[in-house]
Amino acid sequence: MKSSKWLVLTLVFALVFVLSACGSKKEDSASSSPSASAVAPTESAPASSAAASEEEIKPEDGAKLVVWYSASEKALVDEAAKAFKEKYGIDVEFQDVGPDKSIEKMITDGPAGVGADVFSAVHDRLGSAVQAGVVLPNDLHEEETKANNTQKAVDAWTIDGQLYGYPMSVETTAVFYNKDIVKEAPKTWDEVINFAKTYNDAKAQKYAYMWEVGNGYWSWGIFGGYGAYVFGKDGSDGSDIGLNKPEGVEAAKFFESLHDILPIKAADIKADIKTSLFTEGKLAMNVSGPWQTQEFKKALGDKLGVAEYPALPNGKPMMPFSGVKGFLVNANTKYPIAAKLFAQLISSEEFQQKNFELFGSLPSNKNVAASEKVTSDPFASVFLKQFDNSTPMPKISEMNAFWSTHEAALSSLWNDKADPQKTMDEWAKKMHDAIATAK
Amino acid sequence: MKRHAAAAGWLSALCMGLGQWYNRQYAKGLLFVLIHAAGIFLIASKLFPYLQGLVTLGTKGQHLEKVGKIYKNVPGDHSVFMMIHGVLAALVVLLYVVIYMMNIRDAVAIGRKREQGRDLKDLQSTMFPWMLLALPIIGVVFFTIMPIVFTSLIAFTNYASPNHIPPKNLVDWVGFATFHKLFTLNVWSNTFFGVLTWTIIWAIMATVTCYFGGILVALLINQQGIKFKGFWRMLFIIPYAIPQFVSLLIMKNMLNEKFGPINQYFRAFGLEGLPWLNDPFWAKVSVIVVNMWIGIPVTMVLVMGILTNISKDLYEAADVDGASSWMKFRNITMPYVLFATAPILITQFAGNINNFNVIFLLTGGNPATMNYNNAGETDLLVTWLYKLTLDFNQYNIAAAVSILIFLFIATMAILLYRRTRSFKEEDMIQ
Repeated sequence: MKSSKWLVLTLVFALVFVLSACGSKKEDSASSSPSASAVAPTESAPASSAAASEEEIKPEDGAKLVVWYSASEKALVDEAAKAFKEKYGIDVEFQDVGPDKSIEKMITDGPAGVGADVFSAVHDRLGSAVQAGVVLPNDLHEEETKANNTQKAVDAWTIDGQLYGYPMSVETTAVFYNKDIVKEAPKTWDEVINFAKTYNDAKAQKYAYMWEVGNGYWSWGIFGGYGAYVFGKDGSDGSDIGLNKPEGVEAAKFFESLHDILPIKAADIKADIKTSLFTEGKLAMNVSGPWQTQEFKKALGDKLGVAEYPALPNGKPMMPFSGVKGFLVNANTKYPIAAKLFAQLISSEEFQQKNFELFGSLPSNKNVAASEKVTSDPFASVFLKQFDNSTPMPKISEMNAFWSTHEAALSSLWNDKADPQKTMDEWAKKMHDAIATAK
Repeated sequence: MKRHAAAAGWLSALCMGLGQWYNRQYAKGLLFVLIHAAGIFLIASKLFPYLQGLVTLGTKGQHLEKVGKIYKNVPGDHSVFMMIHGVLAALVVLLYVVIYMMNIRDAVAIGRKREQGRDLKDLQSTMFPWMLLALPIIGVVFFTIMPIVFTSLIAFTNYASPNHIPPKNLVDWVGFATFHKLFTLNVWSNTFFGVLTWTIIWAIMATVTCYFGGILVALLINQQGIKFKGFWRMLFIIPYAIPQFVSLLIMKNMLNEKFGPINQYFRAFGLEGLPWLNDPFWAKVSVIVVNMWIGIPVTMVLVMGILTNISKDLYEAADVDGASSWMKFRNITMPYVLFATAPILITQFAGNINNFNVIFLLTGGNPATMNYNNAGETDLLVTWLYKLTLDFNQYNIAAAVSILIFLFIATMAILLYRRTRSFKEEDMIQ
């Protein structure tokens, strides 16, 4: 314990010297660290500090890391662990905690001292994690992270101007379609509606277009497309709920009207039902994410296509929610430097490339996204294009109020064709109350 | 000659063990002195800060400090751990006080015996059972009482997401504010009373249907002239033997309004089918019916056992008197069965109030509704509790609800149990 504290302190001092050497070049005679002063004058300021810190930063002695990641994608951690062991001689232990539940678990396990040092998460829970104080900011590698990843991915992991995460991959949703049934994916909703009128057959369980309507994540595309918002314009103002603004109400009207071409109750459309209908060739268009690409390819082969969402009746594109996966460092870790180094390593260009090759995960790294392999992939390229037309989920902790009310509101719109204005007002009020009681 | 008891008592009150020494019980006295010393030392050095922590619940949360370019995590007070430690410390102190009182009583009692000039030898034996019981008592205190006290205390704090989750933010005592919220704040009270009403309806319906369903099935199988009794018994016990995690999830798919086989049978006969899990009313019917399927075997097995115990002579006598089979059932079978199963009925009722599996696996509390806060139409208090703690981290409201559930079940159980005949008259059968 004590030795690691001293190590951190000396590192901090070394860094201060490096920074002061960059800032005031005139007095570089005072610099006591020869390596830092040697690097500093040769390059421009930010790059040199990054390069210097790369040289200076050493993981704590006797460090041992635990990483949380989903078991189905363990192979990536294994490879990163091997590279990390070679570079720093530090062992990395894998534990199966998926990114969907890691932050909840960290809030209880982290302070108790049994949490992972590095863990993967989706950006929308970042607000809760920061609120609970269980994550360390991405400070050592801030500049590289910002320079290497897309703006949306970096913004997703930033709160109040402070970068926390190490972005890894982006995910959003688009429309998979069966080329046997629809030759080309429809460009507008009018086409979808017209096609549905000819194709739908409730007896034979044939449907034109399906998504999990009762779920806010999947239905948001329509609302976002009409210009509705949940919290403020950039999703960070908890006091400004935009669901019942005219845009939201208009979206609700259109949302309701789609029940005519998908005459199923909201709760009956489940992911597994949707998947089995699609793979059996009964469902023409299935809204899903890149994580199901492999599964669908296996079932449909060459018949499988993917396209961006159809345009809304007002001519605007739909704006679905998107998520940015990344790594975070536990605030209570015993080895913060080693943990940061590992998070940086596993989210680096090399491993984003590997992640894409292994699992088809869409990279957040600009170079990888622009690489031949990704742009020539018919599925990844479409999803990345759709990602440009997407709204990253709001990440402030008030978002809990959205998730605890979305199903009820959407179901009553969908199942009962409830009055749009009234329902959206109620929804907004419900969220307002939930936020107020939590205060 | 009264001075022995008083002197020993006062000496023991002054310091544990002195009274025993005065009574010339040196070993016992030494033991008490040691306990006294250890107690004082522990309380002064360790327990006092813990107790203070229980009162303040921390003064400074964990936070980040920027040193140069690097952020450092500065550890602070973790309110919840402080609460656990505080409760533990309070229990240790309580234990110490109890021992102190026992020590005084012991000194006085022995003193009195000495005044009466009785032999002290046999008194050693009264200590022995206490020595044996000490370990279990300590176990009960720390593994049963501690968690209960801790959970109950959370109801009096503001421990809830997103603003009062340690370690960054502290948790504070808020007194009865949580209960006040639950009863008066519309967001919570609507949900609470709505869910409570359905919980009670559910518990009564589920208990009654399973109980009488079970008796009916048992009687039917036991009828003379029924062939393949073993086969029928096995058939009805199967739903109970399959893990509910499997069977209920399958049921959930079978009841799907559009794609489920049940509604497809309906459609094959030209009927529309029912919105099993989508309509609030039919969803409630669905869980009760599916629960019968699972719950009937339990009562059935129980009642079959009881039926074999009823003396054949009673029925023969009834036959001689020309009783109809309804009269035999009404006057012989039913009283026997009721008498033997009334206590079970109460545990089943209490169990159904907390019947988590059926609701959680079959409907998950759905259909969703705008009227409730974090709950659906079929949520019971206990599944609502689950959502509050695991999905929404509203620990204080959840703790308050669990206290209320406990009070409710305890009162019901005591009242009902005291009213049953099996409690009142041990050997009476009508």
